[in-house]
Amino acid sequence: MKDTKTESAASFDVNDYLRQDRMPHFLCPGCGHGIALRALLWAVHEQGIPKDRLAVVSGIGCSGRLSAYIDANTFHTTHGRPLTFATGLKLARPDLHVIVITGDGDCLAIGGNHLIHACRRNLDITCVMLNNEIYGMTGGQVSPMTAEGRFTTTTPEGNTEPNFDACALAAAAGASFVGREVTAQVLALKTLLGQAIAHEGFSFVEVLSDCTEIYGRKNDLGASPEMMLAKKSAMRPYAYRNTVDVPFRPNALRTGVLTRTDRPEYGAAWRAMAARIRNEEH
Amino acid sequence: MTAPSLAAAPPALTGRRNLEGNEACALGAIRAGCRFFAGYPITPSSEVAETMARELPKVGGTFIQMEDEIASMGAVIGASMGGVTAMTATSGPGFSLKQENLGYACGAEIPCVIVNVMRGGPSTGMPTRPAQGDILQARWGTHGDHAVIVLAPASVGEAYSETIRAVELSETLRVPVVVLLDEVIGHLTETVDLGAVPETPGIARPFATGPREGFLPYAETADLVPPMPRPGDGYRSHCTGLTHGPDGFPTQNPAVAAAALTRTTDKLVLHRARIESWREQATEDADLLIVAIGISARAARQAVKDLRAEGLKVGLFRPVTLWPFPETPLREAVAAAGTRKVLVPEMNQGQLVLEVERVLAGRAEVAGLSRIDGETLTPDEIAGAAREALK
Amino acid sequence: MDKRNRTTNVLIVGVGGQGVIMVSKVLAQLCQEAGHDVKQSEVHGMAKRGGGVFSHVRFGAKVWSPTIPEGEVDILVALEWAEGLRWIRHLKPETGTFIADCQKIVPPFACRSRKRGAEPAYAPQTPEEIIDQVHAGYVMDATGLAANLGNARAANTVLLGALSTALDFPEEAWAQVIAATVPPKSVQINARAFAEGRAWALGGTKRIDVTASGLQKSRAEVHHPQVETVVEITADWCKGCDICVKSCPERCLRLNDQLKAELALPDLCTGCQLCSWLCPDMAISVTNTPVQEAAS
Repeated sequence: MKDTKTESAASFDVNDYLRQDRMPHFLCPGCGHGIALRALLWAVHEQGIPKDRLAVVSGIGCSGRLSAYIDANTFHTTHGRPLTFATGLKLARPDLHVIVITGDGDCLAIGGNHLIHACRRNLDITCVMLNNEIYGMTGGQVSPMTAEGRFTTTTPEGNTEPNFDACALAAAAGASFVGREVTAQVLALKTLLGQAIAHEGFSFVEVLSDCTEIYGRKNDLGASPEMMLAKKSAMRPYAYRNTVDVPFRPNALRTGVLTRTDRPEYGAAWRAMAARIRNEEH
Repeated sequence: MTAPSLAAAPPALTGRRNLEGNEACALGAIRAGCRFFAGYPITPSSEVAETMARELPKVGGTFIQMEDEIASMGAVIGASMGGVTAMTATSGPGFSLKQENLGYACGAEIPCVIVNVMRGGPSTGMPTRPAQGDILQARWGTHGDHAVIVLAPASVGEAYSETIRAVELSETLRVPVVVLLDEVIGHLTETVDLGAVPETPGIARPFATGPREGFLPYAETADLVPPMPRPGDGYRSHCTGLTHGPDGFPTQNPAVAAAALTRTTDKLVLHRARIESWREQATEDADLLIVAIGISARAARQAVKDLRAEGLKVGLFRPVTLWPFPETPLREAVAAAGTRKVLVPEMNQGQLVLEVERVLAGRAEVAGLSRIDGETLTPDEIAGAAREALK
Repeated sequence: MDKRNRTTNVLIVGVGGQGVIMVSKVLAQLCQEAGHDVKQSEVHGMAKRGGGVFSHVRFGAKVWSPTIPEGEVDILVALEWAEGLRWIRHLKPETGTFIADCQKIVPPFACRSRKRGAEPAYAPQTPEEIIDQVHAGYVMDATGLAANLGNARAANTVLLGALSTALDFPEEAWAQVIAATVPPKSVQINARAFAEGRAWALGGTKRIDVTASGLQKSRAEVHHPQVETVVEITADWCKGCDICVKSCPERCLRLNDQLKAELALPDLCTGCQLCSWLCPDMAISVTNTPVQEAAS
């Protein structure tokens, strides 16, 4: 049996992947983004991606700031557009491993169009969406992932809009790898992110993160540990699939790998076509 | 695996060819080393994308049609951050959509070329009709203070050579460059002698080569153009649209912020001689000087010939580099000839005339001539206005 | 000091989320109720954490400009140590009063070295050096005081207590405005925090009362039969979210009085690493090294 305590876990030191001079990070106490960042770096480590070959592209918001802490080639771009920058970067430099870190507002509101087209195109990018159901950086406004009834600064009487099912959206748009995980399940999250990185094609991972300082407080969801653990208990693990049709909570979201299909990666397909054209020319 | 080489040599473009302005733009960019194009269809610029889609694969480049104008600008910047020369093309409404990401390229000093083929506006306006309404959008379209270079070709040959120059300026100075065509130039087919375009020396972006330890991606160098770290070369630096210090990380230190922002504008002042370009016709003794760009300048050229034939001392000053405006050359031309009056014909309600008034500041009497009905200014109209002004 | 003609200038500084705006609101409200003309201007917004926030409060018979010229600040209230130092040149050289929490929120820009364990170049001056430069100065552990009362977030009210000793408003007026400003459920704790801060500052015109500072990293070794476990907690990175404490299967962690995580019961630690995996601040490192069998 592989002993995680002494082998793989010991060989991963998050400090090897952090820009030490940037720490401590600017996130609020208990912010789930920090846990997700650590899990992501762990997955990068396990996939054996050299830091020089890693490009992290992020958008605007709390999630967008994370790239600055990663000791890699990092690009903090414009609001909602990290997938577009990443598309250009990956096409121009297929040798780089491109990971996009985005948030629910960044990815699904202002960047929604880019997401669905990135899913459709199937370029080899890993898109990690940190879903904390709120615009934290600007002070707690409603996002496309805010649940109905929740209080935010722009829904003072409770949110009256339904939210997206981001994974269903990505899958419907054609993403060839879709997964979801909570921060509390660090090992599962790390494994899922590793699978997403290893997947050839566009992979979309929704990480259910917690904004404790703003969202949690405004909605009386408890302190950081309570919020984190509540999410964990509300999930419906992938292993339940086809065994328990109606889980304990009918609305529980599935976690784990939700979609995985094998279809041509866009960049490789383009390069093959371009090579054919060049051969015909000569 | 190392960074891909800039692939196959550009096609041998020599001899005389019939080219459309938009096509010439695309071919010029490829000749200059552009190997990435992302765009979105919009009249009257779509032929640039179509040419790129056809030609780029042949030279190992990449073409992609993105989901919208915003995305195509983002992809161009992303490719350029990866170290590959990149371009996009659009028209007025699309140019507006690109402005946010264009601001990012200005702030983070990412080389890129944006072709804007101007059409009648505002909004959808007259999509197939020419106009010159984006003269100020090209300069001030994005948010905040920023440096940007705008080139304004007036012929198909110039669309080719100025796009080459756009790539060169953009790559070597790390600044976005806008190639501002009007619909007439974009859709005009002319015979171009491609061999006559001087072979440009290798257009090389300054990439970082020094030690990795302690590397500062935005260090203040003597030429004010910091060498750019290329991903994969081991610098592992950070790039952000937040105002950043020499280390590339955000700062709110007033002194550091001011130094960083002024460097990007000082850069263009320092390299002004390389950036500025203009043409003069019969300016030596001109009582009246016409200042015009693009298709309006071509009408003006005929007007100058006609008026000279009548014995009127009229000349033409045509900025090829529209922004930064060649202000010293214009002042010198006016001073040398003792010019009394300046006429600025343009296909908008008066944009270029504002800059000419600012530059001349009382040295000569400046008047504008507008046309905004989707038709071009004619030589007769310009000549008429010039005669009137000289009365 | 002729109060009818003179404007009193109070500058309140800190970083996002600390309550700079609350302090200035209380002061502005108090001044207004006392019949002064008041102007308050502030910078905040995208500064949830890490960004500087400042607020100018000016009051007097008639106030014209909303901002205080450099060197004209009568009282500088700093909710964070380095922010205080950044603004100290704005104090009136001869008569200015400096009131600061010694709490340090090390910003992400405080260190220039990429090396592991590098010391951040964060505000190296000691409180003693600073107090020497000002007319009157108070450096206190307001966050610690407030934490002892049950909520570290009341640190700003502790500083209001200290501020109240430097201005001529009756104590009851302060208490009333504070009670009307804070959420109903925290009226009591804020009243106590105000009283504590006021009592502390009445102890003298120059007073320093701080806990030890510096980049702190605690290290605990746990010996198991087969593995040697080392738990390291970087206190300066820990933000006291409590996740490790509540998630630890052995309940061997706790938050100390500075709201930093510490390994309270090392003997119970099994080296499972859950705390380090779940720490959003990456402040905890747990390493397990197999014990080498002695050669037989």
